[in-house]
Amino acid sequence: MRHFIIVGILVIVISILTYIGLAAIGLMPLAASAQAGPIDWLWNLEVMTISFLFALIVVPMAYSLVVFRRKQGDTTDAEHIEGNTNLEITWTIVPLFIVMVFAYLGAGNLAEIRRVDPQAMVVNVTGLQWAWTFEYPAYGVVANELHVPEGQQVLLQMTSNDVLHSFWVPEFRVKQDLVPGRLTELRFTPTVPGSYKVRCAEICGTSHAYMEAPVIVSAQADFDAWMIDQVALAEEAAATPEGRGRALVAANGCVACHSVNGAAGIGPTWFGLFGRQERLTDGSVITADDAYIHESIKAPQAKIVAGFENQLMPAYKFTDEQITDIVSYIKTLK
Amino acid sequence: MRNKYPVGSGLLLLLLGGAIGYGIGLGIDMLISGTLNYSGSVASAFALLLAVSSFFFGVFGYRGITRGLVWQVLGTLIGGFFVTGIRALMGLDLFGSFFFTEPAWVFGAFSGVISFLFGVGVVSDWMKWARGIDTPEHHEDVPTWEKYLGVSLDHKVIGIQYTVTALVLISVGGLFALIFRTELAASQLQFLTTTFKLFNQNGPQIYNSLMSLHGMIMIVSILLGISGIMNYVIPLLLGAHDMAFPRMNAFAFWIAVPATVLLLMSLVLGGFDTGWTGYPPLSARAPVGVQMFFLGVISAGWSSILGSLNIIATIVRMRAKGMNAMRMPIFMWASIATSIIALTATQLIGLSFQLVMFQRLFGMGFFDPAKGGNPVLFQHLFWFYSHPAVYVFVLPGLGIISELLPVFVRKPLFGYRWVAMSSLGIALVGFLVWAHHMFTSGMNEYLRVPFMYSTLLVAVPTGVKFFSWVATLWGGKITTPTPMLFVLGAIVVFLLGGLTGPPNATVSTDLHLHDTYFIVGHFHDTIFGGFVFPFFAALYYWFPKATGRRMNEFWGKVHFWLMTPSFFVLTFGMMRVGLLGMRRRIVDYDPALGFDLSHLVMTIAGYLIGISVLIFIINLVHSMKNGEKAEGNVWNSRSPEWQVPSPMPAHNYAVPFEVVGEPYDYGLPGSKYVQFIDAPEHVAHPEIAGHSEMKTHQSWGQEQNDTHTR
Amino acid sequence: MIHIQDKKSMLGQGILIFIYLAVLTGLEFFVAISFNSVPLLVVVALVKAALVLYYYMHVHKLNAESPDEDEDSYDYKTGTNRLGLWLFLISDSFVFAGLMVVRINLLGLTRPHLDQTLGLLVTAVLLVSSFFMNRGETLMHGGDRKGFLTNTMITFGLGLAFLIGVVFVEWPNAISEGVTPSSGAQGAAFFMMTGMHAFHVLTGLIFLLVVLVNGRRGVYDQQNYPVEAVAVYWHFIDVVWIFFYPALYLIGALT
Repeated sequence: MRHFIIVGILVIVISILTYIGLAAIGLMPLAASAQAGPIDWLWNLEVMTISFLFALIVVPMAYSLVVFRRKQGDTTDAEHIEGNTNLEITWTIVPLFIVMVFAYLGAGNLAEIRRVDPQAMVVNVTGLQWAWTFEYPAYGVVANELHVPEGQQVLLQMTSNDVLHSFWVPEFRVKQDLVPGRLTELRFTPTVPGSYKVRCAEICGTSHAYMEAPVIVSAQADFDAWMIDQVALAEEAAATPEGRGRALVAANGCVACHSVNGAAGIGPTWFGLFGRQERLTDGSVITADDAYIHESIKAPQAKIVAGFENQLMPAYKFTDEQITDIVSYIKTLK
Repeated sequence: MRNKYPVGSGLLLLLLGGAIGYGIGLGIDMLISGTLNYSGSVASAFALLLAVSSFFFGVFGYRGITRGLVWQVLGTLIGGFFVTGIRALMGLDLFGSFFFTEPAWVFGAFSGVISFLFGVGVVSDWMKWARGIDTPEHHEDVPTWEKYLGVSLDHKVIGIQYTVTALVLISVGGLFALIFRTELAASQLQFLTTTFKLFNQNGPQIYNSLMSLHGMIMIVSILLGISGIMNYVIPLLLGAHDMAFPRMNAFAFWIAVPATVLLLMSLVLGGFDTGWTGYPPLSARAPVGVQMFFLGVISAGWSSILGSLNIIATIVRMRAKGMNAMRMPIFMWASIATSIIALTATQLIGLSFQLVMFQRLFGMGFFDPAKGGNPVLFQHLFWFYSHPAVYVFVLPGLGIISELLPVFVRKPLFGYRWVAMSSLGIALVGFLVWAHHMFTSGMNEYLRVPFMYSTLLVAVPTGVKFFSWVATLWGGKITTPTPMLFVLGAIVVFLLGGLTGPPNATVSTDLHLHDTYFIVGHFHDTIFGGFVFPFFAALYYWFPKATGRRMNEFWGKVHFWLMTPSFFVLTFGMMRVGLLGMRRRIVDYDPALGFDLSHLVMTIAGYLIGISVLIFIINLVHSMKNGEKAEGNVWNSRSPEWQVPSPMPAHNYAVPFEVVGEPYDYGLPGSKYVQFIDAPEHVAHPEIAGHSEMKTHQSWGQEQNDTHTR
Repeated sequence: MIHIQDKKSMLGQGILIFIYLAVLTGLEFFVAISFNSVPLLVVVALVKAALVLYYYMHVHKLNAESPDEDEDSYDYKTGTNRLGLWLFLISDSFVFAGLMVVRINLLGLTRPHLDQTLGLLVTAVLLVSSFFMNRGETLMHGGDRKGFLTNTMITFGLGLAFLIGVVFVEWPNAISEGVTPSSGAQGAAFFMMTGMHAFHVLTGLIFLLVVLVNGRRGVYDQQNYPVEAVAVYWHFIDVVWIFFYPALYLIGALT
């Protein structure tokens, strides 16, 4: 009996210490969405349970190892105890009860974080290897950054152009895959203004690690100001070929592979590309002119620049006018 | 052919064959592409194939595994050229960037696997049967180490073949892990940069290939590892002279060898960047390496399916007299539970990969949204195996824990029936939980809650095991030689793995945790606790049975005390950064996240684990010849295999035994688990063992007690 | 070895079961073309499968072992082999179940444009082959090697006819209808399901050939488990088709 009392006290002490320790480290990142609240609450409850169960198993184990060690010179076996049905039933029923409680809480929790606000701001998200584009249908704006106003629910309607991706902002907690050929939805309500990053959480190929985009949460007024700028920029851009080209490049995530500032990337940089002499894989040299860039966008594998043999550029379905716009944009990159 | 320095000549030929293969490959590549590509795939593929074949040629001569490998190489080439020929007739492209075109590679690899099986000779008996020729029940093996490099029908030989292959694969997979762990030690790209070139892949691509292969190679090594232990131990514990189907047993092992070659081929043939899960549409776009990966997994899957079929049949049909269901050693229950899953569910991973394979080859649009396919369907098929697979990996390990605990606690297993039933419970519930891997996948929303309930249910039978283990320890007389240390380590590590599971099961928290390093930490805990630690425990425990010698205790303890703390550091670190925003399967992380120090610590811990495993392997090899002699009942166990001298004779028990008591009645005076039929009083009977200096059961026990208290 | 009296009744039973199966197949076809009730089609398929499993594949034989037998006797080993074969079939059925899931998920209540007459025809051929397989097996058990060879030969011929019907008639036919492997989900499901099944038919034919050649030499006069094994495997292929046939040809509406 003495053993049980000691172990009982130790279990309680160790579980409290474990929990305090874990809580003190601060396990979760900043909670910056309304959904993070319920999730962190459930998580905290789970950490408590984990601390207790951990102590419940490990303390008696460690205690047995110390107290019930075989004594020097003892060759006999221990007391013959085969089991105890009541105990077995107890430790089947009690955990069953606990997990059912957690399942019940989990279901409620899920319902809470999926609560629909009919006023939610809709953003259409497209994932592609390896970039994000965000389209605000209410404003006709396409951007590579996600700007959202504080305190308003955002409904992301997401799809993918190529492979699976996954939308995850750790500070918002929630995550949803982007599936080609269908729309998936994700709702969150940002609560803390600041600058975050969406990171692709589902492996999507070579540059999966770099498939990130800024997420800016700001006050409604700042958001409105940004949006007015974007609308103006979009209108301005639509008026010139370079502007249209730049918009197309933004909407299709070209810069994920082709840098516009000369930095090395998955594909050849566009900085100073027009008119440049490029060495191809077959050893010949070609000048990057209108015809070559047109061809390379339509049939990326036709003439590959040396050093980029195994990069599978997807075939984009641009019209000839659109490609001309893109080339105009490339011409400005010097 | 007697060879005085088998390993030396093997290594020499390895280098030679590798160099020649590399040269040939360079030449071919040069002819096709017109440039010399020193880090290219074709040269590497030829170098790999020829190096492996010539290594075994040097070790062993042209028979057994060497013949199999040579035939595999020839089969691959013939199959490849066959398809290339057909393509020539159809006027299609003859060669791709990896020498053969993709269909040619797939067919070639497939015919290579079949050729291997014929070459190694594992199907020759069946071919004789098909021609109506009878074959002897058993083939006598040569008594030297050479029997391990050719086809043997003896379950003990096959068990060791499995185990050694598993250890080799663990080393390869671990090496891969160390390579990419090193890259992760700091943010930004250090050596796997975009300008790095190997096997036609740049740094991030190599990272993805290694990371994906680390997953699958470890999974295959686990499947082989549990098969190794089960094969070696099950007939011994049942009192059978062999498995129910010895030829199928050999087949199941040998098909895993070409599977391994294919997995390695996938790395050199352009690799694949999908992770071990191979989700389409990404896997439908990956380089041809992914096809080798698929074929390798399908072959290894057949190994698992046929192996588990054999185990079920053996346990159902070959038990000793008197061994009813509740008197079976507890490991049998674990093995049955594992085998039920492996037998059935494995087909689904094979099917899911085959469908992607055919989507690539024939344009069949199963998972292609443009053709009315459904990418999420793949995940359902895939996880229907791949979640229960986790229980395939851990249930034998949990069985080993339950099997070994009573021996070192000197007390019966607490609640035998409950522990036995909990294995079946885990296996059966395990079939109903797969979609918890898909909470964020975009599957039907209403499926999430039922799968949360079923997933949390798994905690109940798992909990029964933990409580029973603790109750077994309570009030025992515990000794802690190396196997027991690993058993205890397994319990704690698996506990951590188990406890970090429920947050992934409750949907809302999983929305944060899914696809992060938290998951990586969680499943490494479950796999180390459920497989790696028990596997080492089993190796330390049954090593004397197989060799008649003990492994070195001191180095065994060094292995344990080096590996366990490092492992805790590693997985705690993983979970920590995962919660804070570290995603899975990334070659690089944002320096702004501030994970550099954590990752550096994790990398160091990873290296320490590598060193500890190296110590283990050296200990293992060294002890085979030089270990302390241990021919008796080293652990003072009640189990039948320890009642006869070690190493085990070729056809197991010369005299059959009868089960006369409960398996774990330690501390019950006068009780016995098995009674050898016709043998008076003790097993110690010169005719039985063919060993005149046998000690009695009692004196072995004495000796064992001495070593414990020493 | 079974008694001659038994042999007669066993043969009679085989005929009776075949008649049931034939009637059910006719009913199935009628249900499909007249009012296409999915639950009814499922029930009919389940009943057909149960009949084959019990009367043709003798699933009950798994239970018919006395445990105290000598482990090295042929009878005991046959019991082990029987268990092994059934375990394999259970494993294999998961492949087909997986394909069924693919079909249900991708196609739902639609079906591809296929020639229903041809479908019914190949189904009938496979069903009749099962009947002859059962007859051949029963005769072998009764010690009638000649009858066994004749009936197995017929089975082999019908199996070959089925394979040719599917691969060389039905496939080109489907392709000409626009259902090709790469045309879309329907084509993919159709070719994968029939292809996987045809692969099993092919292996079944090889096993039949082995048993035929060895049977001619008298290998199975005493110990004839291999004949039973081939028969069970062949019936298993039939059971798979019992489900695949309605799934591909009958259930759902044309799109």
